[in-house]
Formats: sequence, C-alpha cells, structure tokens
Amino acid sequence: MAQPVKLVVVSAGLGKPSSTRMLGDRLAEATGRQLLDRGVEADVHTVELRDVAVDIAHNLVTGFPPPGLRAAIETVTRADALIAVTPIFTASYSGLFKSFFDVLDNSALTGKPVLIAATGGTARHSLALEHALRPLFAYLRATVTPTSVYAATGDWGASAGAGDDLAARIARAGGELADLAAGLPRAAAAPAAEFEEVVPFAEQLAALRRG
Amino acid sequence: MATVLTVWGSPSATSRTGVVARHVAARLTADGHDVSTLAVRDLPAQALLHADFADPDLRAALARVADADALVIASPVYKAAYSGVLKTFLDVLPQFALRGKEILPVLTGGTPAHVLALDYALRPVLTSLGADHVAQGWFVHERFVSVEGAMEAEGVAPLEELADAFSARLRRPAAVA
Ligand SMILES: Cc1cc2nc3c(=O)[nH]c(=O)nc-3n(C[C@H](O)[C@H](O)[C@H](O)COP(=O)(O)O)c2cc1C
Repeated sequence: MAQPVKLVVVSAGLGKPSSTRMLGDRLAEATGRQLLDRGVEADVHTVELRDVAVDIAHNLVTGFPPPGLRAAIETVTRADALIAVTPIFTASYSGLFKSFFDVLDNSALTGKPVLIAATGGTARHSLALEHALRPLFAYLRATVTPTSVYAATGDWGASAGAGDDLAARIARAGGELADLAAGLPRAAAAPAAEFEEVVPFAEQLAALRRG
Repeated sequence: MATVLTVWGSPSATSRTGVVARHVAARLTADGHDVSTLAVRDLPAQALLHADFADPDLRAALARVADADALVIASPVYKAAYSGVLKTFLDVLPQFALRGKEILPVLTGGTPAHVLALDYALRPVLTSLGADHVAQGWFVHERFVSVEGAMEAEGVAPLEELADAFSARLRRPAAVA
C-alpha cells in the first residue's frame, strides 16, 4: 500500500465542544474514507488554533514563533492535504484564523490540496467561503477543491432534509480532496519503480490500433 | 464636532499603518473633531483572542467604539486582505456595532496589486457590522511612508482629500446624533 497521506485539519473554533472542530472532524472522516477507497490510508492530525492563539499574537509582534506554534506551522507545512475550518464572524473568517495564515510563509501552502469550510449561525453568510477564504488560499497558491462546505447551526441534524444536504456536501468535498491528495507524488513511492511501469506512448497507440 | 476613533490593526510597533492613521487623525483634529487612537496591538491578546469581555481593557476599547460618531479603520495588507490582528478586534464588537456611524477605511500595503483588498475584503466586513456609510477609502503604498513618520505627498495627497471630505461630512448636522 502507498505511503499514508498526511491529512491535517486546522480548526479556528473557540467553543468546547466546537461545531467548527466537529465539521473539521466530519470532513477528515469523509476524506479518509474516500482515500481508502482509492487504496490510500490517511494519517490525520488536528491543529486547534485556540491552543496556540496567544502564541500567534506574540509571533506577529516579535516575528518568531514560540515552540507550540512552531509545531503547528510545521504540521501544516508538511501536510499532504489540508482541511481549513473557521467560524464566520462579521461575514468573514475569524481574526484568529486569518492571523494564523498571516504568520505562515508565503510558500508554505504552494500546490497543497486544501478544502475550505466554515460554520456560522446563519446560512446567509455562506458566500464568505467564496469571497474571503478562497481568495486567501488563492493568494497562498494552494489548490482549493471546487466544493467548499458551510454548516449553519440549523444544518446539524435539526431537520432531516438540511442535515442530508450537509452530509452530501461533506462527502462530495471529501471526495474531491481525496482525489487531489491521492494524485500527489508522495515521498516514499520509489520513483525508479514508477518509471519502469510507464508504457511508452507509441506502444499505447499500437495497443489501441490492435484493439 | 464629531467624536472620531482611529483603530489601527498592525502588530508592529514601528508601523506604517500607524503613521498613516496618525496623519489622518491629525488632519481631523485640525478640522475641529475630537479624535483618539486605538492600537489593537496594545490590547491584551489573551482577552481579545478568547473574547473575554470581563477584561477591563477590552471593555474600555469597546466603550470607545460605542461612543464614537465615526471611525477610521486602518490596516496593513497581509496575504491580500486586512490583517488578522485588525479582525480579532472587529470580531469582538457587537453584531451591529457600526450602526449609525461613519467609517473611513485605510490600508497600507507593499504591492499595488492588492489595492482592491479595500473594497473586496475590508468593506464587506464593515458593512456587515452595520455601518451606515463606509466612505471612499484609500490604499497607501508602503514606499510613500517611512516608519519614522515621514510621508511623500504624492502617496498621501489623495488620502488627505478623502479625509477632508470625510471631515466635512461629519460636520453636517445629521451625521452626528
Ligand atoms: C506577513 C505579511 C504579509 C504581507 N502581505 C502583503 C500582501 O499580501 N500585499 C501587500 O500589498 N503587502 C503585504 N505586506 C506588506 C505590508 O502590507 C506593508 O509593508 C504595510 O505597509 C505594513 O504596514 P505596518 O508597517 O503598519 O505593519 C505584508 C507584510 C507582512 C509582514
């Protein structure tokens, strides 16, 4: 089996329990399941920004990450795929969420598959994903899945219909992230062996003609 | 005369955004307004990030927002948007904290490619806080401002014009409750 995919959830949820964290967990579960369908295991880590909040503030002021934050930054930078989840405050990502991505290197997420998601009190703010989060990750040159996931308070199982919509969306987004992550060349896959398996284009053509 | 609060959201002590914000504040003061400044970086990080409303400094900051007729909101551009630091403060404001207030948004940034962050990123947040009127704002390129406080006229003249128009608007009887 291929090397497991390092799947990292970044949650900016503040509450305990946090619906933002819960959404992150559901997305990680959906992504992990669909990676397995593709023959790849997922190794899931979660970074709770709440735990490094004050470190982030200090880093912004001093320019240096304290150890706890440094570990979080490394986990995110080394991830094969990222699930970034924020509560929506004043129609955008939270200040804590933005502050964490502010301290990341501009190159930390380059080419990384990212699934963006958010929780909010009202579905009326769903577009914050498209007008605030997607541009942020575009700036960081991440590869963001076409489906983003917004969960309003009312979506959490209250009415069956709304809950089903959320579940379907989580599954679709997870599948997209799994596709991107499974397509990544991963360190432990021996490159030489891979190349030996490549069938030359002329041979493929010939095979087509014969067929 | 209006009560104006200048909020600036740069984490750095020697901040170009701070220089620009103070410049606007001085101009509004000279025009007769009662202007004071709030640096988000001076607020207790723990209280701010965990929305601890029991904290006296945070409460005092919120009271200053409530008491203001108008606010100048100034931020550096980070990652093509306003700074997370500014947002941590906007996040602890009541839902419609800017209702009935006039707002002047100001950004400083390192690349003109990000001028639109003012209208695409910052303005919607101010609008969602219920601001009555978000005036035309301005993006000042960092090369026009030194951290020591010097500014080049070419870069700040448009902002001065907008600040004067903002000031005039605050003088209209209806603008100040
Ligand atoms: C972490 C970080 C990210 C930045 N990102 C951008 C950016 O995306 N676009 C831009 O125009 N300038 C960017 N800059 C430059 C600052 O916006 C510019 O230097 C600004 O004037 C700094 O204001 P200050 O001195 O008040 O902090 C960035 C600076 C830092 C430190």
